[in-house]
Amino acid sequence: MGERSSWMWISLGLTCLLIVAAYLTIYYYNESTHYKSLYERAAADLKKLTMPVNILIDYGNGTRKWYNNTLVPREASLFLATKIIASVESITYPEMGEFVTSINGVGGDPGRYWIWYIWNQNEGKWDWGPVACDKYILQDSDTVMWRYEQF
Amino acid sequence: MRNIPRNRLPPIKILSLIILMTSINLVSNYAMIGIPNVKFMDLFVFISGYLMGALPGAMVGVLTWLVYGTLNPYGSNLIIFVATCLGESLYGVVGWLSAKFGLGSNLSSLKEVKEKRVWWTNLKFGVIGFFLTFIYDLFTNIVSVVIVGLPPLMAIIQGAPFAIVHEVSNFFFFFFGCSALIAAIKRDLGG
Repeated sequence: MGERSSWMWISLGLTCLLIVAAYLTIYYYNESTHYKSLYERAAADLKKLTMPVNILIDYGNGTRKWYNNTLVPREASLFLATKIIASVESITYPEMGEFVTSINGVGGDPGRYWIWYIWNQNEGKWDWGPVACDKYILQDSDTVMWRYEQF
Repeated sequence: MRNIPRNRLPPIKILSLIILMTSINLVSNYAMIGIPNVKFMDLFVFISGYLMGALPGAMVGVLTWLVYGTLNPYGSNLIIFVATCLGESLYGVVGWLSAKFGLGSNLSSLKEVKEKRVWWTNLKFGVIGFFLTFIYDLFTNIVSVVIVGLPPLMAIIQGAPFAIVHEVSNFFFFFFGCSALIAAIKRDLGG
């Protein structure tokens, strides 16, 4: 067996590996393109079904946490949106609606309640929520706040 | 052991071997039908060409596809059928060429094969099996894709996972199977 012949066969063997590597590259590139298109389609569908809202939770002790661009289902109520970002406890009043008693474990102190506000862009101030949180249907890009305060 | 000259095999032995190899191909193909692109057929066609010559080798490939290509649960298409027949016969022709160029001339007994003295020859067979399968896949995939009106590049992309399985499995089948089968059949033909 000549040395030249040996190198030829070794080169051919390495070429086999190169072909396998090329095929794997093509295969995984194709897969990634496929899944990327699936992801983009799913994201587009999600965009049609959801909307972004900004929610601020003010715990009344100096701790304020923003949940900006939170995706919530279209025509979701504030109550549902709050439940998406936090652990919420509430009492149901059949005539009025949901009354939030605790957010993320904070609540129940005598004389202090969770009140919600909506940002009034025209006047640049927070307005009181006009109805119970489960009755208020959020609009695209609404900014709302929950504040734990003395009442 | 005597090295049987291929061109001196009696015609009746060649005919018997063609029928036998075709039968083995069909049985193994149908037995392995659930494993796409993993078949012993290519190895057997190559060995047929190696032992009997280009024409009998190609005949084993074509005869196998005549049955397997028409009675196939995955369906059949005339153009693909012709492409697979042509592609398969290539194994037989290259098998004959391999014998002609003295590849595996050191395979004098099964004992040597068992004692792993032929790994270098096995590697050569494996590499040949890989390249033959690469050409076969490229050819048949391009034909399959072009007849439905897609560009040939799609053949490579869409056929990549099947091609890998086919080529790598054939590398191992040729690596482990060629030497042993050639030595065993040579012994029986010479008896």
